[in-house]
Amino acid sequence: MRSTTFRLTAAALAVTALTAGCADRGGVSEDAADYPSQDITLVVPYDAGGASDLAARTLAARMEDSLGQSIIVENRSGGAGSVGLENLAGRAADGYSIGYLPVETVMLGYQGYDVDPGAYDLVGQMVSVPATIAVPEDSPYETLDDLVEAARSEPGALSVSNSGAGSIWEAATTELGRATETEFQPVPFDGGAPAVTAAVGGQVDAVVAGISETAPAHADGRLRVLALFDSQPSDSLPGVETAAEQGVDVVIGGWGGIGAPAGLPDEVRTKLEEAFSEAADSDEFRTIIADSGNIPVNVPSEEFSEFVDQEHTRFGALLEGQD
Amino acid sequence: MSPIVEGFSALLDPMVLLCIAAGALLGMLVGAFPGVTATMAVALASGFTLSLEPLPGLAVLLTIYVAANFGDRVPAILVNTPGTPASIATTFDGYAMARQGRAGLALTSSAFASAWGTLVGVVLLMVAAIPLSRLALNFGPAEMFALVVFGLTMMIGVSGGRIVKGLMAGGLGLLLGAVGRDPITGTPRFTFGLPELSDGIPFIAAIIGLFGIAEVMNQILVHRRGREAEPIKEFGRWFPRRSDWRTMLKPMAIGSGVGGVVGIVPATGGDIAGILGWDQARRASKRPEEFGKGSLEGITAADTSSNATLGGSVTTTLALGLPGDSVMAVMIGSMVVWGIQPGPSLFANQPDLVYSIAGIMLIATVVALVISVLRMRGVAKLLELPQHFLWAVILVFCMVGTYAVNNSVLDVAVMLVFGLVGLFLKRFGIPPGPVVLGLILGGLAEGNLRRALEIGGPENILTSPIALGLLAVSALALVVPPLRTAWGARRARARAASENTTTPAP
Repeated sequence: MRSTTFRLTAAALAVTALTAGCADRGGVSEDAADYPSQDITLVVPYDAGGASDLAARTLAARMEDSLGQSIIVENRSGGAGSVGLENLAGRAADGYSIGYLPVETVMLGYQGYDVDPGAYDLVGQMVSVPATIAVPEDSPYETLDDLVEAARSEPGALSVSNSGAGSIWEAATTELGRATETEFQPVPFDGGAPAVTAAVGGQVDAVVAGISETAPAHADGRLRVLALFDSQPSDSLPGVETAAEQGVDVVIGGWGGIGAPAGLPDEVRTKLEEAFSEAADSDEFRTIIADSGNIPVNVPSEEFSEFVDQEHTRFGALLEGQD
Repeated sequence: MSPIVEGFSALLDPMVLLCIAAGALLGMLVGAFPGVTATMAVALASGFTLSLEPLPGLAVLLTIYVAANFGDRVPAILVNTPGTPASIATTFDGYAMARQGRAGLALTSSAFASAWGTLVGVVLLMVAAIPLSRLALNFGPAEMFALVVFGLTMMIGVSGGRIVKGLMAGGLGLLLGAVGRDPITGTPRFTFGLPELSDGIPFIAAIIGLFGIAEVMNQILVHRRGREAEPIKEFGRWFPRRSDWRTMLKPMAIGSGVGGVVGIVPATGGDIAGILGWDQARRASKRPEEFGKGSLEGITAADTSSNATLGGSVTTTLALGLPGDSVMAVMIGSMVVWGIQPGPSLFANQPDLVYSIAGIMLIATVVALVISVLRMRGVAKLLELPQHFLWAVILVFCMVGTYAVNNSVLDVAVMLVFGLVGLFLKRFGIPPGPVVLGLILGGLAEGNLRRALEIGGPENILTSPIALGLLAVSALALVVPPLRTAWGARRARARAASENTTTPAP
């Protein structure tokens, strides 16, 4: 009763607000073989305008081409992404609700939120944002080794900024300390840009942030990226070695993919996966992601699911170990 | 000289001019609609502009940004609801003027003040971009903390003479600012298990409730059948007289200065600048007692200051690659896709682009000013509606606008709760301004203080000359006014005493 009223109100408001898509489908029953016969909603757990939103919107535009239906992007931000992720998990598994799943999907469950990667059928991974560590241009540290040595001589004295408490970049800082058997002092800021600024301005000793956030400052010479935490070097950071190449075996970073509430019918799932793969391979998608400084990928459902399982176990150890 | 010529002449493309016109209309509408902020409008528009060429695309986005900061004044003045957070301080005097039958003058002078503020900001962008943005880079957590503390001393100013009640309201705001995740450890505080509250109290919902809903509910309460409480139909004269212009001169100068500086500081925008500019003008005014009660100086200072941040924010964004405020954070995303990499190399590689951006903003300002002045009589029509229709329209706008921010019903609930809180404050004569200040600045103060302490302990703050300077100014701001009052009283007593002795008894 209450939920009916809620849905009616929500629907009425959504129609009036030009920006929102209609959430209520009025219980139209239909055959999975006809899928898709109406608009699809894509939930993005962040505000409009950010890098994740841009990636999701670009992919959605390409997926529309192969599915032949409109994909309406709905931003449901808040609670570090948990608001949107919980909202998606609670929707019908009919393929008309899909969502953008960020790395936080496997982290938030350990941070007191009701988010579980098992609640989603994964369609594919489309973007990867490896972590980097960078120092101010006038920093005495020239290599990752210099920085680690300095941290070892006085554990916890080196301040390393990141985008926020509980963020993937804070976890990456902890992981780096753990792998090198020392300790850094993570300093959470209110967003990635202020964290990078703090390093540019010399307020902190180093910053851990995604490649798209440090690469431009590295190119200008305002920051010096010491290491990339990926399995291979990147074109956008010429001359920068991976951490593994410098003897620190850490691969960590953000990622993003598409998922749907668990329990999709097989036909629907196949169609979504095909449309996803085609979109993620399109030149337009790859160019826009690469231009924004991140790495476009196209990881199929099965492989992505395995990866997400591994990540879930890994962050369990990393995040719960902290407490 | 040639990059300037090149930059400006690139704007002669009819496509660019068309985009500016479209952006101006869109921006004014968006601004006038409470809840739909400039940030959100730019974010949504950037979905469509990515397929355009960079220059027309920038023309749409930048013009929305500028024009929204004109449009948001209208609901602030006429119905006490800030169209975007940048016009919070506009409500202080704008609505009071409207109630005194001077809505016309308030709207026109607000538009001129806003235009002047934007122009000052853009000139700043063209002249002083690089040196000024170096200064901004020196603002780390310690300096930001000191700046925010200085901001908190304004609570006394915005209390409108009711200092005890103002401080109570400020305390309430600070407490509300503590809702959400701990900035350092990430532990949720006072969230009642609602993930929606873990980013803090939704700010837009809170200000729409505190100002808009509270005002409507108050009017409904005091409304008596038969004895029609006059809705604002009297607009009075529209254009400022020569004497008005003279009154506006000083607050415009103060607002330009305050807004320019606040704009340069990364991540601070028109909401804070408006309040700060208003308060500084009040301190410098010969008639501070009129502030908050319909002062032309007050509205002029607030609007000049909040719009003078626009140029500063663009400066910080272009010169450092850091978002100057939340709108610019969204715009950086689009620029990067267009192959424009904000940062120091932009001024070396594409100097003409900087002038094109300045040019777009200048044209946008003129267009927005013209629309503002021409369209105002149309706005008047809306207010000729019987009052109960107007209440319904405002309530619907507030609800829809608040829902649209995050597609969240909880935001609407928060707005209604804050409407009740605002009504309570209003009935008991407690000013709502300090609540907003506490809410904005409380979280900033805490986050930056704790960050500063994480980085280097108390020495981090005590060894920063900028931070120490700001803290000293804050202390003066607290101590000087009561001392001045005391001196004034003593002098008056002395004068009275001497007059008593010299005047012969009759």
